[in-house]
Amino acid sequence: MQTIPLKCVKRSIASGCVWRASIARYTASKGLKTSAIALGTAPKHPTVDHGYLPNSPSPITTNLEFFDAVSDKTIPAYRVLDGNGEVLDGATVPEIDEALARKIYETMCMLPTLDNVLYNVQRQGKISFYHGEEAAIIGSAAGLENTDEVLGQYREMGVLLWRGFPLQSVMGQCLGNEEDSGTKGRQMPVHFGSPAHHFHTISSPLATQIPQAAGVGYALKRDPARRGKNCAVVYFGDGAASEGDFHAGMLLGSVLESPTIFFCRNNGFAISTPAAEQYAGDGIASRGAGYGVKTIRVDGNDALAVLAVMREARKYALAESKPVLIEATTYRVGHHSTSDDSFAYRPRSEVENWKKTDNPIWRMRRFLEGRKWWDEAAEQEMKERMKKAVMSEFRRAEGLKRHPLGELFTDVYAGEVPWNLKEQREELAGLLKKYGDVWEPWRKERERFKGNGSDLQ
Amino acid sequence: MGHTAIAEIQFSDYIYPAFDQIVNEAAKIRYRSGGQFNVGGLTIRTPSMAVGHGGLYHSQSPEGFFLAASGLKVVIPRSPIQAKGLLLASIRDPNPVIFMEPKILYRSSVEQVPVSDYTLPLSKIETLIPGSDLTLLSYGTPLYTCETALSLLSSPPPELDNEKMIPKGVRSAKVELIDLRTILPWDMEGVIESVNRTGRLVIVHEAGKMGGVGAEIAAEVQKRCFLRLEAPVKRVCGWDTPVGLQYEKFYIPDAVRVVDALVETLKF
Repeated sequence: MQTIPLKCVKRSIASGCVWRASIARYTASKGLKTSAIALGTAPKHPTVDHGYLPNSPSPITTNLEFFDAVSDKTIPAYRVLDGNGEVLDGATVPEIDEALARKIYETMCMLPTLDNVLYNVQRQGKISFYHGEEAAIIGSAAGLENTDEVLGQYREMGVLLWRGFPLQSVMGQCLGNEEDSGTKGRQMPVHFGSPAHHFHTISSPLATQIPQAAGVGYALKRDPARRGKNCAVVYFGDGAASEGDFHAGMLLGSVLESPTIFFCRNNGFAISTPAAEQYAGDGIASRGAGYGVKTIRVDGNDALAVLAVMREARKYALAESKPVLIEATTYRVGHHSTSDDSFAYRPRSEVENWKKTDNPIWRMRRFLEGRKWWDEAAEQEMKERMKKAVMSEFRRAEGLKRHPLGELFTDVYAGEVPWNLKEQREELAGLLKKYGDVWEPWRKERERFKGNGSDLQ
Repeated sequence: MGHTAIAEIQFSDYIYPAFDQIVNEAAKIRYRSGGQFNVGGLTIRTPSMAVGHGGLYHSQSPEGFFLAASGLKVVIPRSPIQAKGLLLASIRDPNPVIFMEPKILYRSSVEQVPVSDYTLPLSKIETLIPGSDLTLLSYGTPLYTCETALSLLSSPPPELDNEKMIPKGVRSAKVELIDLRTILPWDMEGVIESVNRTGRLVIVHEAGKMGGVGAEIAAEVQKRCFLRLEAPVKRVCGWDTPVGLQYEKFYIPDAVRVVDALVETLKF
């Protein structure tokens, strides 16, 4: 593998285009030229007017030419702050006061605080997952109303935090204890859900939430109480965007005209698959036009840019009752999850470089400091307060029991319980009665449930 | 096109987007083309079964869904030596094969695997322990649970050592332990031969009871061994619910559930 020209990688990182860096590394590894990132050619319109195809807006051309992009240039990425949190020349800072800016920044900081605790606890065999991408998540959450319906993939806990989801509930779900009203201990960690917070329960399969969101938007449109007031927002990653459900969801949303915002977090990786191996086109943003959907690409590590974009997207979606596609480019600094060691497929230096040159939290902090809304003392106070809150909530939650064992059998169906489930519940009840006090694995395990399994009897 | 595709679905819980291609296409290409086209040795490897912390979407055993797709084969190995031989056989088999690998066994099942080329036969059971009083049939991870259950039966620990739980009369029963290995097409002759001898059958699998592999086998056994059966066919399965994370230890059939089923069937 030849060494990557340093100039190329530096330029790639500085421009904030994650896929350029991964393309550079990929093409270098194949021994190809790294000088030019392949750009497409857009269709050329005929210079001579031959009219249109019958019943069609397509003008007739006598030029036999193929195209592979809708524009000759790569889709630009919207940005407000540079890598150092300074407002770019010509950029407009979205309307924001000190209170909002602080709330955005503090919520962004809560994510890594939680991640650090939960991640370390997983290593001790307790629970899992890494979040990051703070600007994309919190910036977008801040651009929504708390009653807009959100369907996430699994890295969007930040939206819940923004909406006031208590730490107690975070711990409840992650530890699967009796306070997990979101999933009653049935799901893996970070599979949150809360109707009160308009956050649809996460499921592990990728992209399944995308067509659902098209439907949710459609339902909102049909509801006289919510039409024009609430939109649906669906989050997914660059890998999920390769699923068939992405296509189904975009088609459905565009044809049904759902007020649904499709928010793609392009963090450059789908577990170990880098963006350069995920797609050959210009990211996910290039697909929107194919569906006739208004699209924008935004620097996902720029909280203010994401905030501005989400506000505009929401306004449009509600006014026109039409979908919007947002591609937020960012970088997955952590491993995919605690089951992954990403240094098996990317150099540590790449991660460290990224943390230094394009850190969403740092950029937002510098913006606040520039406005004199933040300082080192505030930083220290916040860090201590958050760490204390997380640790104390965790310790309290750790000591709690699980839901009653009988919840194993509930919520499969609504209404009448079919015979097989009734009988199976009775079967387990009988077995527990017979062996549950003497068979040690069961004796120990049943004590972890509220009621020790007695609710089955 | 003359090539063999060997695909991997990272978790069998995520195989469903490919269901259309597998069931409508791979399984039916040969039939619908009058034998002119086929997918050849297409082999899909996919980790399945519970791992202890997988919850709804990292624990599934979806083999049952494919039983209705004639044209497909489904194979589930129990150990490294089995995995190599069965996988090579699957790849070389001219039919599409779904090869489900019980993921918890990746680390917990250890064997010295011959480095030479070898295959193991598809659609043939393997008798792990010969017996005469009851046939205990399973595949994948639960086979190890079955082994534990058998030792609980023959020498129960103090807490189970009583007439109510493991009566002395059944402790010397010779149970025949069988690994099904190929789920589809399953070795009907091998299973029937065993049950005709023993007269009793207990089937264990992690997948839910409703519409599972055990249902298919039990139906066939009751038809072919009806007059030889000394007891109803007993199925020990996962419950008919999704696999709830915190409840897993009471969901997956464990040794005490299996031994309870053995005793019930032996005493019938």
